[in-house]
Order: sequence, then C-alpha cells, then structure tokens
Amino acid sequence: MAPAQRVLVSYSGAQAFLSSGSWDQIHTALLAQLPLRNIHWKSFSRPIRTIQELDISLVPLESLRDEHASQVPATLLEKPFLNMYLVTCEDADLETYKTTIKRQVKDWHAVVSSRKNQEWLILHVVRPDARTQGGNFFQLKGSVLDKLKGDFNTDRRDRCVQLAWNAGSQNPAVWAEFLNKLKDGLLSSFDSAISQREDEVKRSESQRQMPGWNFCTFFTLKESLAGSFQGVNLFEDALVQYDELEASFYQVLKEKNLSWFGSLITPTPNDDSSPLLSISKKPYRDLILANTISVFDFRIYLLARQCSLLAKIDGRINEVSKKAAAFLGAFGRRLSEVETLPEYFVESWIYSSALSVVDQCDTWAAGLNLQGAMLSTFNAGKGELLELARHQLDVIGVKIGHLPVRPPFSNSHHPPSSSGSATSDKKISSADILQCLQTSDAFYDIYVGITNRAIDMYAKAGRRKFALKLHGSLAALDVHRGRLAAALTTYTSLPAHYAPHMWTSLESLMLSLALDTHAELDKTRDREWIHILLSFLKTFVDTVGLDLLMHEDDRVEYVSRLVQSMKDSATVLESDLSHPEHPAISIKVASAAKLAGDKDGSFLDVVIHNNLPCVVPIDEVVALLVGRDSERLRFSAHIDGVTPGKTQATLFCPTSSAGTYILDSTEARISHLVLQWAHKKPVPGRKALSRRSSVALVRIPRDLLAMDVRLQQPNSIELGRPSSLLVAVSTGRNNIAKASIKFHVPSVTFRYSQVALTDGNTDQDTLQADDSSISVLNLSEASHLEFLIPYSDASAFHAIKVDVEVDYITVAEPSITRTLHLARVVATTLPISVNVQDFFRGNRLFSKFTVSTTSHQHVRISDAQLQFPDGGLDGLKVVACSPQARSVVTVTPAQPANFLFYLDSANGPVGESLKFRISYRMLREEVEALIETSVDQVLAQSADVLGERVELINKLVEALEQDSAWVELYGVSGELNVPDVFGELGEADEPLKRVIQSLHEHRHPHPPKGKWREIIIPVDVPYMNIVAAAGIRLLPPTSPVPMGSEHTPSLYAGQPIPALLTVHTSFHWGSSVNDTQRAYMMRFDVEEMVREWLVSGRKRGDFAAKDNATYSVPLTLIALHHGELVLPKISVTALPLAGEVTMGSMAIPNTETYQVHGAEKVLVLPRGGRSTFVLGMGSG
Amino acid sequence: MSKKVLNAVAFISPQNHPILIRTFAKQDDHAIKYHYIAHTSLDVIEERVAAGGKSTECYLGLLYSMEDVAVYGYITPLKVKIVIALALSDSVVRDVEVNLIFKALHMAYYSAISNPFLKLDAPTDATNDHSPYLLVGRANWKNFRRRIDEIANVVSNPSNA
Repeated sequence: MAPAQRVLVSYSGAQAFLSSGSWDQIHTALLAQLPLRNIHWKSFSRPIRTIQELDISLVPLESLRDEHASQVPATLLEKPFLNMYLVTCEDADLETYKTTIKRQVKDWHAVVSSRKNQEWLILHVVRPDARTQGGNFFQLKGSVLDKLKGDFNTDRRDRCVQLAWNAGSQNPAVWAEFLNKLKDGLLSSFDSAISQREDEVKRSESQRQMPGWNFCTFFTLKESLAGSFQGVNLFEDALVQYDELEASFYQVLKEKNLSWFGSLITPTPNDDSSPLLSISKKPYRDLILANTISVFDFRIYLLARQCSLLAKIDGRINEVSKKAAAFLGAFGRRLSEVETLPEYFVESWIYSSALSVVDQCDTWAAGLNLQGAMLSTFNAGKGELLELARHQLDVIGVKIGHLPVRPPFSNSHHPPSSSGSATSDKKISSADILQCLQTSDAFYDIYVGITNRAIDMYAKAGRRKFALKLHGSLAALDVHRGRLAAALTTYTSLPAHYAPHMWTSLESLMLSLALDTHAELDKTRDREWIHILLSFLKTFVDTVGLDLLMHEDDRVEYVSRLVQSMKDSATVLESDLSHPEHPAISIKVASAAKLAGDKDGSFLDVVIHNNLPCVVPIDEVVALLVGRDSERLRFSAHIDGVTPGKTQATLFCPTSSAGTYILDSTEARISHLVLQWAHKKPVPGRKALSRRSSVALVRIPRDLLAMDVRLQQPNSIELGRPSSLLVAVSTGRNNIAKASIKFHVPSVTFRYSQVALTDGNTDQDTLQADDSSISVLNLSEASHLEFLIPYSDASAFHAIKVDVEVDYITVAEPSITRTLHLARVVATTLPISVNVQDFFRGNRLFSKFTVSTTSHQHVRISDAQLQFPDGGLDGLKVVACSPQARSVVTVTPAQPANFLFYLDSANGPVGESLKFRISYRMLREEVEALIETSVDQVLAQSADVLGERVELINKLVEALEQDSAWVELYGVSGELNVPDVFGELGEADEPLKRVIQSLHEHRHPHPPKGKWREIIIPVDVPYMNIVAAAGIRLLPPTSPVPMGSEHTPSLYAGQPIPALLTVHTSFHWGSSVNDTQRAYMMRFDVEEMVREWLVSGRKRGDFAAKDNATYSVPLTLIALHHGELVLPKISVTALPLAGEVTMGSMAIPNTETYQVHGAEKVLVLPRGGRSTFVLGMGSG
Repeated sequence: MSKKVLNAVAFISPQNHPILIRTFAKQDDHAIKYHYIAHTSLDVIEERVAAGGKSTECYLGLLYSMEDVAVYGYITPLKVKIVIALALSDSVVRDVEVNLIFKALHMAYYSAISNPFLKLDAPTDATNDHSPYLLVGRANWKNFRRRIDEIANVVSNPSNA
C-alpha cells in the first residue's frame, strides 16, 4: 500500500477538448481549488464526521484499470470515487450536442455507471457571457445543460453541473456549485463503499470459527478499511480498526491458534536495532498476505500502524510512548522465553526500540506545539522509554559483570537469566549494545548517558520521584565504580527528599547506603557521619526495623556495630554535639521525686526506653525540671549503657527545693553526643486540652532537714528608718562549709555590706559580705543563724517576692556544690495599723491610739507605750490612761484595740515627735511558739528527734488550721484545745498525745512570755492655735445661784430661763502661747434646736479671743416641752486673720472647740395652763 | 477473571506517607523495587489527578509499566492512594478486572481503619498530628495485612476463590 494515497477522481471528455489549451487552464484552476475543505460525512452507522481537508487527485479515466491487480482487498481508494465528464458546448450550438456530444457522453456514462460505488458527474463548462444568454426564458429549445440533465440525470440526484468559467476569472464563487457537487459525489460513493466493506469485514469476522478462516486475510480486509479511513484523513476511525484488529489478535492468541503466522520470531540480522515504528523496514503486507509473517513482525507492524495514527490525531501523541513502552515490556517478556535468539537479543531489541521510539516521537512532535500538561506527559513518556532502555543495560551489565548483582541493578541475588543463548550463531546488531559488551568504560558511558537523559526528561516532566530513583541508581553505580565521594554526596542528599513524606523505608535505605559508602571511603567519622547515623537510627526505630529495606542480613548486629562506632567517634569529638528529639531512646519521668533522707537532695525515678535492638552506651541521663519562677533543677545519674527495652534509673539532684515542677527536657549523653528531648514545648495549633496532657509534672516533697533560708520582717520595725529583711538560715542536717546567699528582687537593691547579725555583733568568722552576696562559713548542723539585711525602699508593694539563691558546700561532700533556689514572699506592710485621735482640753492633750489589724489575722498586743524621744522632753508628762496591769490584748479584724494617753505640757506645744511603741505578735506566731515549746518539753528525753519534732509541730499546726474553734478560748484563758482531727491515736503517737494534753493545760502566763515584735511609730504632737471651751450656764430667775449647785430650782417648760454663754479660749497648744497681746477674731453660733429650745438673745456673734480669756454673752432659753433636754451646742470658729495671707488664701487659725456642757442635761418639768409670751427678736 | 500475578500492593496516605507496602513476588528478594514503584507512582497519580480535573473516577488505570511490572493506580475519595504492581504479561489486562482488585483493596483498607481501637495506639507524644490511619499498616495490626494477602492470593489464583 503506497503511503499518502489520495482519493481518486477520474475525468474524461472529448478528445479534442482534453488536448486543448483550454482544458489545461481549467485543470490548473481546478487544482487550485483543492484540497477540499470541511466535508461532513453523515453515515448511518456512526455519528457525523468532519473531514477538515481532503486532497484528491484528478486522473484521466483511461489511466485507471478497471480490474483488480490481485485478490487482495485493497483500500477503497484504489478506485475512483467519482468519474467526471467535461462537456464544452455552447447553448447556441445544440446541434453539435445532439449529433456528437450526446453520444460521447452516453458512451462514457455507460462505462462509469456500471461501476460499483462510483459516482459520476457531468461538468458543463461554458463561458460566463454565454451563461447569461442561457437565462432567456423564452428560449424554447432549452440549454445544453437541460438537455444533459434530461438525457442522463434520471434519478433525483443532480449530477450535472455547469461551470461558467473563462481564463481570466479569479472569482472562487464560480467553483462553489461544482465543488459542492464534487463533495456530495465523493461522500456518497465513499459511504456506500465503506458500508459495503464493513459488511464484508463483519461477514468475515462472523466466520472466524469456521474452518478455512484465515486471520491474515481478515486482517488485510479490515486493514483496507483502516487504510480507506486514513486516506480520507479520518484517523480516529482508522485507529479504531487497528485497535479492533489488536483485540482480535489477542483473541487469537488466547485461543492459541497461531497457524496463520510463521514462527514467533525469525530473527533477521538487524531486527534488534532497526527503528521500531518504521512501517517500511520490512515488506510487512507481503509477509501477511503470504501467511508467513512472524508474530514478532506482525505485532511490530500493528504497533507501528497504531502509533503513526496516534501521532496524527490531535492530542494523542502521548499515547505513542505509553503504548510502545507497554508493548516492549510485554512482548519482551514473551521473547525472552524464546531460546534460539542471539545472546542479548531481547535486551538489545528493547533498548534500540525504546530509543528509536523516543526519536520518532520527537520527530512527530516537532510539528506540534505541545504545551503544559501535554508537554509534561510527553516528556514523562520519553523518560519512561529511556528508563526502559536503561533497564536493559542493567540486565546486560549484571550479566556480563559490569554491574554488581544487587539492587538497584538487580532485584534478586542471582544473576538474571538474560535472553537468548550464547550458542546461537547469530549476533545482535545494535552498536550501542555491542560497545557495551566490549568494554566496561563504554558501558558506563552509555549507562550514565541514558540515565541522565531519562533524569532530564523526568525533570522536564516534573516527575521528581522518578528522577530521585535514577539519581540513586547513579550513586550506586558510582559506588560500584569506586567513585565513593560522588556517591556519598548523592546518598547524603537523597534522604532529605524522602523524609518529608515519612517514606522511611527509602530514607533509611539511602542513609544506610551513605553510611556504608562512608565506611568504604574510610573517611573520618566526624559530626556529619554521626548525623547521618542518627538519622538512620531514627528511621530504623520509626519502622521498628520491620519494613526496612536493609541490605544487611543481621540487622541487630549491623545496628549494634553502628551504635558502637558512634560511641567511639563521639568520644573523640572535641565539643558536645547535641541532637534533638531522637526516637531511639525515650525517657519517662516519674511523677514524684523521693527525698534522699540522709543528705540534701532528691531522687527521681526514670524509665529509659531503648527502642534499638542493641545496647546503647549512654553515660549519663539528665532530667531538667523547671519550677514556677524559672527555678531549674537538674537531675542526673551516670549509667552504663541501656539495654534494649526498658531500663530503670534513679537520677539525683543535690538540692532540696520542693514543690511542683514541670519536666522541661531530658538528655542522654553518649560521650560528647547529647541526645535531647524537650518535654515542655509549645505546640502550635493544638488545643489547650491536648497541651495540658502533654506536660509532665514532677512533685518534689519538702525536706524538713534540708538547708533552708527563710525571710521575715525584722522583729523590730521603726517607721521612718530604712527597711530591712530578717534572714534566717537553718542548716538542718548539714555541716555547712560555705554557703553564699544572694537575693534578687526586681527594682529592689539589697545592701549586702550593711548586713548585721540580729544579736548585734558582726562576727567575721561566720558572716561575710561582698557586693553581690553574703557568705556564711562553718555553720554546724542544726544551727540557726539570723541576720538583717537592709534594702532599698519597696513601699510600693504590699509584699516583695525574693528569689533566694543559695550555693552551699557541705563538709561531708565537699565536691558537690548544691544550689538551692527559693522564692520567698515577704510582706512589707505592717500587720497592724495605728490611728491617733487627739483631744485638747485646756493644757492637757488626750491621744487615743486605735490599733487595728491590716490582715485577717489576729494580733496579740502585750504593751503599748507612748515614749519620749531619747533624752526626754522638758515639762512634758505622759500618762497612760489605762490600768497598769493590763494583760495581753487581742486585736481581731472586727475589734481594734484602743490605747489612751494624756499629755501635760508645761511649755505649750511640743515640737519633737514622740514614739508610739507597740509590742505585738501574731496569734499564729504565738501559738506556733507555744506548740514548739510544748513539743520540746515532751520530746526532751528522746534523742535525735529533729525530724520527729518538725513533723509533730507541722501536724499540730495543720490540725489547728483546720478548725478555728480554739481561738476564742485561747484568747481568754490560754487553754489550747487542739481540734480532734487525728482520729485514733496509737502507741506511736504517744508524744502527740502528750503535747495535746500539755497544750490543753496551758494558761496564759502573767506577765506574758515569749518573743514579741515591736513596731515603733513616730507620733507628732499636734499644734492647735486656739482651744475654745464653750459652755452655757443656766441662771434660773428665782435664784441667783447658778445651776450645778445643790439646790437647783425647778425648770418648767415654757418658762424663760436666763443663761450665760461663755467661751474660754486658750492659745496653749498654738504658736502664740503666752502671748497676751495676741487676739483672734472668732465667731460663735448657738445651735438651733427648734423642737426643744427657743433661744432668745445673741445667738450668734463675733468676738476677739485672747489667751486664757473668757468671753460671755447672756441668753434666754425657753424649753418647748418637758423632759430631759440637752442644752444647745455652740460652735466656735475662728475668722480669717485680717491681713495675714498664707499660701494665697486667707489663713484661718486652727481651732478646736469643745462643749463644756456637752455631757449635761437639764430636767424640764411640765407646766399646766397656757402662756403667751412676746419675745423681742434680739438686739440686732 | 484471567490469571494475573499481583506482585505488590501499596497504600499511600493523602499526605503521601506510605501506609503499607506489601510485596508478594517470591522471586524478588528485595522489596525495594516496590517501594520505589510506590513512591514514583505518586508522580504519575499526581499527573492523572491534575489531568482528570474534578472527575470522581477512583480508578486511574495503568500508570506505567516498568521492567517486568505494570503499575496501576487508584485514589479513594478521601485521597488514599492504592497502587498495585501486576506482573507484566503479554495478554490483555482488562481495566474492569483491575478495578475489581482495587475495590477489594479499598474495602479491606476501609474495614481496617474502622477499627476503633486503632486510635488508641496513636502515639500521644507525636510531634506532628498525623491521622491514626497510618498505623493500620503497622505490623502490629495484623488483620489488614491478612486481608491484603488474601486478596493477592485470590487474584493470583482465581480458581481457589
């Protein structure tokens, strides 16, 4: 079958016309209209198809032979679809038509109309001018066209067409009708031909079970159909034919009825190297017709046909490579079963074929504009083919020893059975493969070249993972060729590509290969090596070693060897190498620590889980705990390797900090390699719930016998002096060789240099201070040291939180420096507050001190004194108004205590301040002290009771904290009834019982015992410019004797009572004491008591007050009803000082007024009758 | 069903993490090939899914054939990828049959992850929050593996079914 077969259209006509120049012109013009475009083929059996473009060839009718050259069904295109007859006859020349032309046409018509599936068409060529004439309606004779139609066109289809054409015409419209007729004719004959041929194919196919049916015949028949479709550019329909043929071939194959073929393969010399998709490399059709084609050739032919069609169909070129690859793989397998082939024939064939398909694809794609996904797929397909070719090299390489028998070159431990036999006399012909067989260098060059091409294609196609795999194989080749450095580089870079997808199997393989290469390379095992190894162990652990693609047989042995060498290389590292979150080891920490008991510090149990199958030589395990205030505790223990599975270990931390801690991190140390795990880590994007559960808490109990530092307010506080802190160091069980104590409070500075022991002397042997810390030296066990340290003012806070850091060394363990971090809160506010109220009475001043507690706690006050400053004050006398033998007063939040003093001042106002000293203690302190003494009494006879004592005290304190019912009784009597919270007390609790008993019998001693705190508050004696004593004296008219004497006349309601208002003023407490000339303007005002008293007279007035002078005004009072009445109050105020201006405002001298008669009441008797009084409204 | 030899099955999570890679071919001493195949298939699956657009078809057809296996792909509606490697043979492999294998594998996976106890096994200290379904491929969940093996057995020996 000739390629590019065209649709044939024959022409015929009068000999004279065809040889004329005019025909040549028409012929040329007609060819210029070709190819035909947009032909729509409607057939019954298929949906409408559109042939975009159809080239036809015009041939003279005579050149066609009517008969088939052979019995072989040729394509339908071998015969013309249309026969055309050209008539040139002017309408005017009807006679000529009748005489000659009609006969000629008739002869031609008789020939062509007998032919099957061929249409005919009569083309009447006229000159355009002649045509207009032909439109004459009244022309009775009719035109030549009409005659032609009448004579030949007997059925409905119009097969006569007129072409109005002359040599100069360029108008394409003139051809339109003719071309339409041409298309119609072609389609009609094509359609009928196709349906006829299809019927034949169907018939043949239905006979396949009959004897005598021949697949090859069927094939040629069906292929002719495909060829016909291809001829009219209907490639998809053509492909369908081939696909159906392929399907029926498989059917035949399945029935194992291959008698129509020659052998499976009869190799010819160049079979293994000729281009796969070439249709012309062998006379395939002849072989098929002769039934001698080998299956090999047949299938190649079929594939080549399909591929060439796929390449022509829009958007299906990518199927070429896929189809070819699948074919090569599948058929290659079949070929490899054939034993008579030359050695390496199959490999060579697949190799060459794959490469030739790649080339062919490139050729086909050259004309196409592939883009985007199409291009990627195209490249991917080529990549697959190249990889297929590469794989053949693997097989050959392994077989002849250029490559080792191991992955990735070979998938089994045994050399693969390559195709063919060496004994075959034939040889393969592929130049590449022959080269490969000769020298290993050539092999490697080709191998690397092909691989790189494939990688390139995959890279272009965006197939990263394919490329990675090939990179891996190149590295393997490098290893085999001894180019270890290059291989190592590749191997170390590859795991990173596998890791993100947790593709641990491949990742670990790469890592283990990297390790092996490293070992083979004899490189020093440096940090990088350790990192690779750790990554490998990580993958090993992740998969539990089960799914691992290990190339070593004994995994445990392999891993333990690696771990051992890791230890060795970690030992020679110069600095620590830390590695976070390695899963090979996991450390779980117990939730509570245990106290060491015999020394400061606590033990923490951990469980070390070794996920590796071998011993991990861990030297040290560390757990780091953090507390609330960034206190850090480091628990550690030295261990000697961890066996697989769980291992218990006990870590020790030599400090006695107590409380709840969060496990921050754990560490396992292998020489210089430090594996770290952070346990407290911020988990972004997770819910709070899950985070809470991920935090491990560790509780450390309090060690009562441990070194401890307590901070308190000093026992004696004097307001106005710099604040200081009382530091109490108790050594517990430790003999302290040296301890250094530091305090940290933000914004507060401690004056270390001014530290002083509480007992006054600064003993240099025990206490030393420098700028930043205090050192305590040589403190024996169970000793107690207290000292005061001043600090800068912190009055802005109610309490300060002091971070205490104590580094101490005990005599017993001089090598361990223990560090104790403590956070202590010290209140800076006082537990009590004091308010002063002053009352002036002439030369005497009463001061009332109200002491109340500032917290909820009860405060016991033993004594309150108002003291002179040192040296005393002249002429001043202070007398406490309370009874001398006052016992201890308890101040509760609800009940403050008052202390009253009076001052007699001989010399006027007091300039210096006095001191108010309160001795107090908190109820809690007192009770605790009481318990301590009671416990000491009880435990005195038993030895070594330090711990028991503290425990007992704590028990009692706790009991008291639970119930406050004892407080009142204790406050009154001192009897301390410990609430019964202990339940049954056994034999062992004898001391407790006795303590409770002794507390129960306790009474407050008199005078009170124990330690008292002191607060000294400076008190200023107030100034008062004017002290006024206002009074009203009633002067009943019946008697001149003033009221207050023994015989007071009766007073009756409604009776006017004369009275005298007096205001006595004293400047004793003011600045103008004893200044007789000094006078202040003052105003008095009698209180209106409209329900009790009518006041007549000067109720209000101004007067000049002088020191120690009395101003009096007469008044008349009338009681409005009977009863015991209080006299009206008189308010006395000072008027602004004339001319004296202080601070820009008028100065008013401060004045205190008291009512002399404030406590007096007047008994007014009722009186019968009714009286009317006329009262003057006063003088003013 | 015509005889096919199932060489390997791979389940890959939506995040492209391998869930289970199971090989059946006895002659292959090294499973690495199938790990590579499963891994590289992801590229092709990605291409297919991208090309397929919003198509809801799970079966992705022949992904590629390499060496002596034909690799088929399948993606569940929840984007779990299943890849199988059939031994390459010179006969027609019908997509319907391959799809049937995939459906069976899908069901096996589905019923395996329905196990409510699976979540208990999820590591609580896992730094990254992977679905517990990855665990189903772990060696300690035997049922899944057993079912896969059964399917492979049936595929390779249809007469025993």
